[in-house]
Amino acid sequence: MVSKTILHDGPIAVRLTRVTKTFGQHIAVDDLSLEVPEGSVYGFIGPNGSGKTTTLRMILHIFHPDSGVIEVLGQQGTRAANDRIGYLPEERGLYKKMTVRRVLAYYAALKGMSAAEARPAVDQWLEKVGLTQWGNHKVEALSKGMAQKIQFIAAVVSRPRLLILDEPFSGLDPVNLEVLRAAILELRRQGTTIIFSTHDMMMAEQMCDFIFMIYRGRKVLDGTLESIQERYGADTIRLRADGAAEILRGMEKVQNVRDLGQCQEVRFGGDAQELLNTLSARTRVQLFEITRPSLHDIFVRIAGADSVEQTHE
Amino acid sequence: MNKIRQIAWTEYLNAVRSKAFLIGLIMLPVLLFGSVLIQKFAESKVDISDRRLVVVDHTGILFSALAAKAQSRNEQEIFEWTKTGKGRQLRPKFVLEPFRSTSTNGGPIDLGLSERVRKKELFAFVVIGKSAFSTEPGTGTEILYSTQTPTFTELPDWLERTLNAEIQQHRFGQAKIDPALVRKLTRDAIFRRLGLANVTQTGEVVKAKEENKLATFAVPAGAMFLLYTLVMGSAPALLNTVLEEKMQKISEVLIASVSPFQLMMGKLVGAIMTSMTLSLLYLGALFFFLWRNGLGNFVPPSLYVWFFVFQLLGLLIYGSILSAIGAACTEIKDAQNMMLPVMLLTFIPLFTWLPIMQSPTSSFSRILSLIPPATPLLMLLRIAIPPGPPWWEIALGILLTTAFMFLCVWASAKIFRMGILSQGQSASMGNLVKWILSR
Repeated sequence: MVSKTILHDGPIAVRLTRVTKTFGQHIAVDDLSLEVPEGSVYGFIGPNGSGKTTTLRMILHIFHPDSGVIEVLGQQGTRAANDRIGYLPEERGLYKKMTVRRVLAYYAALKGMSAAEARPAVDQWLEKVGLTQWGNHKVEALSKGMAQKIQFIAAVVSRPRLLILDEPFSGLDPVNLEVLRAAILELRRQGTTIIFSTHDMMMAEQMCDFIFMIYRGRKVLDGTLESIQERYGADTIRLRADGAAEILRGMEKVQNVRDLGQCQEVRFGGDAQELLNTLSARTRVQLFEITRPSLHDIFVRIAGADSVEQTHE
Repeated sequence: MNKIRQIAWTEYLNAVRSKAFLIGLIMLPVLLFGSVLIQKFAESKVDISDRRLVVVDHTGILFSALAAKAQSRNEQEIFEWTKTGKGRQLRPKFVLEPFRSTSTNGGPIDLGLSERVRKKELFAFVVIGKSAFSTEPGTGTEILYSTQTPTFTELPDWLERTLNAEIQQHRFGQAKIDPALVRKLTRDAIFRRLGLANVTQTGEVVKAKEENKLATFAVPAGAMFLLYTLVMGSAPALLNTVLEEKMQKISEVLIASVSPFQLMMGKLVGAIMTSMTLSLLYLGALFFFLWRNGLGNFVPPSLYVWFFVFQLLGLLIYGSILSAIGAACTEIKDAQNMMLPVMLLTFIPLFTWLPIMQSPTSSFSRILSLIPPATPLLMLLRIAIPPGPPWWEIALGILLTTAFMFLCVWASAKIFRMGILSQGQSASMGNLVKWILSR
């Protein structure tokens, strides 16, 4: 497992230096150092209970670290930067009895936005996500997907410099997912630094400039997707062959067979040419590709079946 | 400060725009006037069916006098009298029947009459002993009243009063003393209750005024109970909103924007504004009513000010404690259990206000009104009882309560900070102490 701090050249939005947080006897975050460059999309991945949410809450100064230093947007150890941070928590929290416009104006005001500034910003976002006609309805009248979009607006309406999204896409249908993804990428283009935690490895691969994986409170991955994949070598082979899954399982040096339906993905500890020859001798091979391991594969290699549910996530 | 104001204002608007606020606003006067109306209505619904009574008169003298009195009562006293004359009947008639030995079929008298009462032929019967006129001590207990409806006291009360008056008349007659003279000699002297005489700044002597029962009893008691209603009507709502927001995960969103202390104070200030709105409406209406009816001097203006001062202190104390409990719990059931000891504190004034009314300057009253959780209610009660406690006791009470209030807000803020994002089990008392003592 790798725990290495990447040093970035440009300005840093978030810097964690040797941060540790415990809850009773449980070490939630252990000696974590991390740098999030300004304007980047930083993906936090890790099994449930590994320390993702605790790290995000420490960045927001909701939790204080037991040791170490946290610097956010140039502010060290204080909540001074919080007005410039937008936060979408994992579990959504909206006042059900308030109207959509009122709740958004309230959350904007808590970020220091005046009513005059908030009103057009709220309208603009409602239009962007297609909920203008719901502005004067009570939150309790919204569907789950609509409420999630409103919660997202609450996080971004104050034009934050840093946006922290904890599982922003969970429970969204593909249409709403695309709306939010487009909005996030647009914010990134405008210079917003985005940290988001996700269990969706595909989404992390597609959206993130950097990926950070935390496992049992410790950093195990940190870098660009390419650098991570490079580190895990080119031992992954994607192939399609008749009865391949059965054949592969009985072969030496084959460490992991992942049946993807249309093809299989294997990690092979030996010479790939040797594997191709063996397979060709036994069945008809339609596809054989030496590739880098997917983020999903890397995740499973690290966490494996050992991804035990932890507390304080 | 700006964020506290934002939270307070939103909390206030959420509260006063809710149906619960309107219902709460209306409920107090509805309960107050409703109880009066219900009492009036209940009075008009009194069972006025005749109460038949058999009188076993062993003296042989009293029945006729008693019957005459009953007839007079039935014709005069039980009706509503209007300008046009006799109105509707308000009370039941007492129909008296002399005892006839044949009606018992030869058995014991009380057994036969008891049977008639059970069969509802009679409401009651009374046995007047032979020695009813005896003037010797310990021998005059010979009037025995029996019924199966002992809760109806009007009849035995009337009987006792009327028979004793008749018996006394008879005794005076036997002693050759003119009953009219007795009435004259035993007439009560006029007794008036006054306040104290005073001297104005110009040296003018102001005579003592007649004691006003409204000012001396209803005003202190009313002020204390209104304060209790307003404080305990608003503070527990804080527990509910904090717990609800925690359960709905709204707290996490808020805590990302404001500090836990700002959140708690914002909610507290919002609850104070809501409660103050209610008291302004109630006290404003009371002031207007008293002023329109020329009764303004019954409630001294300073009492209104003291009311707001103690309302503020009470809300800060109980509001901060209850919001901390809301933050420390994850279920309503746990919060209710934890709330119980706090509610017991609020009961101290309710259990002790009567002895304090009787003797507001006793050591008991003075000490109890200086113990902070009870001070807001009990000091207000003492202030409302003329002439009120000395100024230094009020100042000391406010000082101690303010110090206690700061302690409560400080401890509650620490619990709130730790509890607001805690999940799983509700905090134990041990956890709360640990959180308070944490850095």
